[in-house]
Order: sequence, then structure tokens, then C-alpha cells
Amino acid sequence: MNEFLMKLLSALVFPLLFTSPAFALDGAEILKKVDANLQPESFESYRKLINIEPSGAKREFLLYTLKKGNDKIASLFLSPASEKGRATLRLGDNMWLYIPNVGKPIRITSLQSVVGGVFNNADIMRLDYNVEYNVQKIEDEKSEYVLDLKAKTTTVAYDKLKMWVDKTTIVPTKVECYAATGLLIKTLYFKERKSFEGVLRPSVIETDSPLYKGYQSILAYANVKKRIVADEVFTLEFLAKIETIR
Amino acid sequence: MRFVRLLVFLGISLTASNLHSQEQPQDKGKFEIDLSELQKEVDKVASKPYSLGGFAEFQPTLLGIDRDSTFSRLQFFKSKQGSTFDQYNFRLRLEGFYKKDIFSVFFKTDTFVRNDFEGWDEDTKLFEAYASVKPSPSFIVEAGKKVMKWGKGYAWNPASFIDRPKNPEDPEEALEGSTVATADYIRSFDGPLKTVTLTTAAIPVYRHVNAKFGELFHTNFASKLYLLAYDTDLDFMVFTGESRTTRYGFDFSKNLATNFEVHGEFSVINNVKSKFIDQSGRGFSTQSEALNYLLGLRYLTESETTYILEYYRDGTGLSRKQMKDFFSFVDTSYRNFLTTGNAGGLVRAARLAKGPYGKPNPMRDYLYFRVSQKEPFDILYFTPALTSIINPVDGSFNVIPEVSYSPMTNLEFRLRGVFLVGRHQTDFGEKQNDYRLELRLRYYFAL
Repeated sequence: MNEFLMKLLSALVFPLLFTSPAFALDGAEILKKVDANLQPESFESYRKLINIEPSGAKREFLLYTLKKGNDKIASLFLSPASEKGRATLRLGDNMWLYIPNVGKPIRITSLQSVVGGVFNNADIMRLDYNVEYNVQKIEDEKSEYVLDLKAKTTTVAYDKLKMWVDKTTIVPTKVECYAATGLLIKTLYFKERKSFEGVLRPSVIETDSPLYKGYQSILAYANVKKRIVADEVFTLEFLAKIETIR
Repeated sequence: MRFVRLLVFLGISLTASNLHSQEQPQDKGKFEIDLSELQKEVDKVASKPYSLGGFAEFQPTLLGIDRDSTFSRLQFFKSKQGSTFDQYNFRLRLEGFYKKDIFSVFFKTDTFVRNDFEGWDEDTKLFEAYASVKPSPSFIVEAGKKVMKWGKGYAWNPASFIDRPKNPEDPEEALEGSTVATADYIRSFDGPLKTVTLTTAAIPVYRHVNAKFGELFHTNFASKLYLLAYDTDLDFMVFTGESRTTRYGFDFSKNLATNFEVHGEFSVINNVKSKFIDQSGRGFSTQSEALNYLLGLRYLTESETTYILEYYRDGTGLSRKQMKDFFSFVDTSYRNFLTTGNAGGLVRAARLAKGPYGKPNPMRDYLYFRVSQKEPFDILYFTPALTSIINPVDGSFNVIPEVSYSPMTNLEFRLRGVFLVGRHQTDFGEKQNDYRLELRLRYYFAL
């Protein structure tokens, strides 16, 4: 009898004990797959950033971007002429902006925006989601997973994210970005899947924000290619010279 | 009258920009990007090994002269000058770049044309022109005229041993470089020490090369060791040579929080020679070691207001007494000129004013404060700012309100005023102007 009770308890309790970690593991795995499907770990790309004002007037910026591993990303502005030569570098939590006239790179913060509009520096120099966020909760909806993500440290631009992930492609369709106060800062929409290096990835990210009513910003990708450059490219000294390796 | 003219001009300019802004597409529907057009644009850009561009600038300026100040007397004692005059400044900046394999070349020229009561004046300078060889991302050799950009300070750089000094009223403006040969060795690591960069530079000083740098006919050397360790930028600098005395420097920059950066810069200069006069005009010279330093912070609020605060100690600067003696000497010389017509004292003082007495910030202690608000009232590409440079020793200061706005791609407007406040015989109180109003229109282009 005792043996029977033990077996019964084991059958009931053991699954309960492991249910929670199993969900966490699933969430983390899904997030890693999301990152892999959004962009290769190390790559170069061209990106067009467009700010659209409520009047319909728009302003466009063309950037060349290099990313390596989990924590290194550098971008060079190619147009318009007023921004040409500006470059940004991110090494983990450190971010710098190089303005050719100013000279030395200056430290900038994730919440600032080097281009104005709805995208801030953290959006333009985004690291993989799994590097900066833990999965707190996962909900299984009809065709999507809904992940609640919590920033690993207070230095991350958004305290919480709510991410809708398409079940079949494991690609996000929408991400809501929240401040620690619970304020919705912006919403990102991932669109236009396109084959880059044989993988279908979203090539357009749109965003809007209740803080910028009527404004819209778009980030579109082209020529995303796997490229591994030396770590030394992601240094302050090299920031002014990225054009030489483009 | 001139002020009215400037305001009318300003009104016309802003109206024109507003009209242009209204000419932008009025399609209020959801914008959809054309990815095939983007691909065409990227293909064109990706295959281009060169670039050529720059900007054209027009800057009308109205100057309000303080006719009783030391520096206006030195400037205008020979000519009758009203209490205001206007200047019309034009600037053309050209930049070019070309790369092939591991080689690249870069140049930047600056042409400046001014029209004021003295007539037309033109000056063209080669700001930078250098060749670069990069056998690997770890090793870069460059030679030519270039700006070294050492130091972390925003308004001043006491550890920038090679470059010309910045204009603290406009520290983001480009500088003319020096002719140098440099080598950079860069290494990256995992762990708390992420980057090490060693920069070495040779600075020749001869009759036609860097002639104003210091004593002629010497080649000088400078080195900088940069470390990114524990998320902190650290630089250690040294300069040695016969053209200038030996000097050592150190700077740092660190984000204490995502929106809060602190920085500092220190330098020690051996055997600094200082020349000054007493109130009777008798000359003195001293030689000593000078300690210069700067401490600063940059703070960003949630509403995107940026504060920059810096304290600068210039150990090579003039003391309050030395500055007052100079002002007294000019006072006496001016009275003498009015009564006897003898301009000897004023001519000598004007010559001294081209040296340390006439620097934008000639004394030892300064505070720099700037607050700027990015895109208030949801107006994109619009930034109002207020800057002040304060001499805490004599209590004089300037105040610089400004607004900058970019109504369309590549066009920038900046309207700013510079108002100088100070009692008799104070740093800012004795400068040439009471105020300066300027409107800058800058149009960037790419060829």
C-alpha cells in the first residue's frame, strides 16, 4: 500500500515539480530561435531608417551595419549628406557616437536617438533579445506564442517586452516595449519576410509610439550577409575608419 | 537699423523654410516602403569606392560693440566705429574620400569669405589631407594633415597636446589639423579589459610644416595608450620634443548610469614659460610646471533634456591680478592716446592681445554649462539650447541661447545670441562685444 501511495505521489508531484522550469526552458529556447531567425549572429547589412511625420513629410537615413557575436555592433551613416560619416558603436552596455566634426567619440545612452523620431539608440543598435531579456511568462495562443520578457539588468532600455511570436516561423510579429513604470513606450511590428542567406527573415520593422502620436518610423534591411570581422573593428579608434572596410 | 535688417532677413528665411516644409508630401496614410527601390539604392552605394560632399554656409552676424571695453579699444582705437556692425560670412567645406584595397585617402578643405566694414576677406585652408594604410584592422598607419582628437572634455581639452584648441563657444566645429605621421595598434580582448590601443605620432615642425606649433627645426613625438577597462574609457598621453616642453596627460569617461556620464582630463606641462605685464607695462616672465584639469558630466533626463557641466582649470592661464594689470595698462594707454595722440601703449597691448591675453578663455578657472532639449512639443529636428561659460573668479560670464532646426533633409538653421556680462576689469566684461547675434544657414550636399 505504501509502495502504491509512493508511486501515486511520484506520478502526481514530479510532473508538477518540473512543469515550471520546463516552461522557462521552452521560453528561453523560443527566444533564442527568434533571435536566430531575426538576424545571423555575425553579419553586415545595409539599413534604411525612415521617420514619417504626421504631415506625411519623411526623412531617410541609410546605414551600413556590422554585428559580431552577442555584444558588438557598429553602424556608419552613408546618407543624407548632413549625417554622412557619423558612426555608432555598441560594446555590451557601452555606446558611443562618432561625429566627424566633433572628433572623438562621445558616450551616448540607449534612450537617446541619434536620428530623431521614434527609434532610439537601443533600437538601432539592438543586441539579441536573449542577451538582454529573460522570459518571465509564455502564453500559448492560437497561432502565436506570447512571451513576457523582463530585462536582465537596469541598464537595458526597456524594462519589459511583450512579444508575439508566429508559431510556424518562430519570428516575432509584434513587440510592445514598456518602461519600469508600466508605460507603453513603443510598439514594433516585424514585416515583409525576405530570404537573407537562405533564411526567411523580417526585412521591415515599423514602429509607432503613444509618446509620438501620429509619427511613424521604419527600419528596412537589405544585403544582410554573414560576415565575421576582427574584434578590433569594434573599437573607438576604428569607428572613424569603418568606411574603409565596407 | 542693422538689427531690423537682420530680423527681416531672419523672418524671410524662416518663412521660406516653413513653406518648404509644407511642400513635403501630404500623404497622411500609412507609409509603405518600396524594397526594390531600397535594393537599387544599396547596390549603387555598395559599389562606390569614393565619396565627395560637404556644405555651403551663410552666416549673417550682428555685433554689438562695448565701446568702453579693453578689447574694443584695442581693435578700434584707430577708426571711428559705431556701437554695432554687421558681418556677412560665407563658408564652403569640401570633403572627399577614396579607398582601394588596404589604402585610402581623405581630404577636407575650408573656404571662408567675410564681408564687414573693412571690406571683403577670403581664406582657404586645407583642414585635413592624409593617406591611410591598413594591413589589418589591428594596425593602421596614416600620414598627412589630420586632427588627432585627444581628450574627453566637451568645451576644452587640456590633454590634447597636438590639435589646435577648440572654440568653447562652438566646440563641435571642425578644426584645422596638424601634419603628422601616426601608427595605431589595436587589440581587443574578452573580459574586463576589452580594448587596448596604442597610438604613436611624429610631429615635424619646420618652416613650412606646423610652423606655428612651436620651436622650428625639430621632430616631436607623442603617444597615447587607450584602454576600455571595466566599462571605462581611459587614455594616457605623453608628448616630448624640442618644439614644446614635455607634457603628460590622462583622461577618463564612464557611464555611471545609462543616462549619466562622467569624464575628466588631466595634464602636467613641464617648464611652461609665461609672459605678462604689470599695470605700468613692465614685462615679466616666469617658468614653472603647470597642472591643467577638467571634470565634467553629461546627464540625460527621461524627457530628453541633456545637461553638460564642466569645470576647467588651466594652470597656464593668467591670474586675476595679471589680467587686471593688463586692463589697467590698456586704460592708461588709451587715456594717453586721447590726450597726446601717442598710440605706442595701445599698439603694444594689441600685440599682447594676440597672445595669451586675447585667448577666448585666458584665465585659470572656468565653468561650462549647457542644457539642450531635443525635439520639444513633438517638433522633429528642432533643438533649443542654452549655454553659459562662467569665470567664477571675477564673476563674469556669457549666455548663449540658441535654437537649431532642420526643416528639410540637409538644410540646417541655427539662430543664436551671445551675451556677455561682467563688471569693469573682468574677463567677459572687457571683451570686444556686448552681444553677438548670428543666424547660420547650412546646406549639406553630396556629389
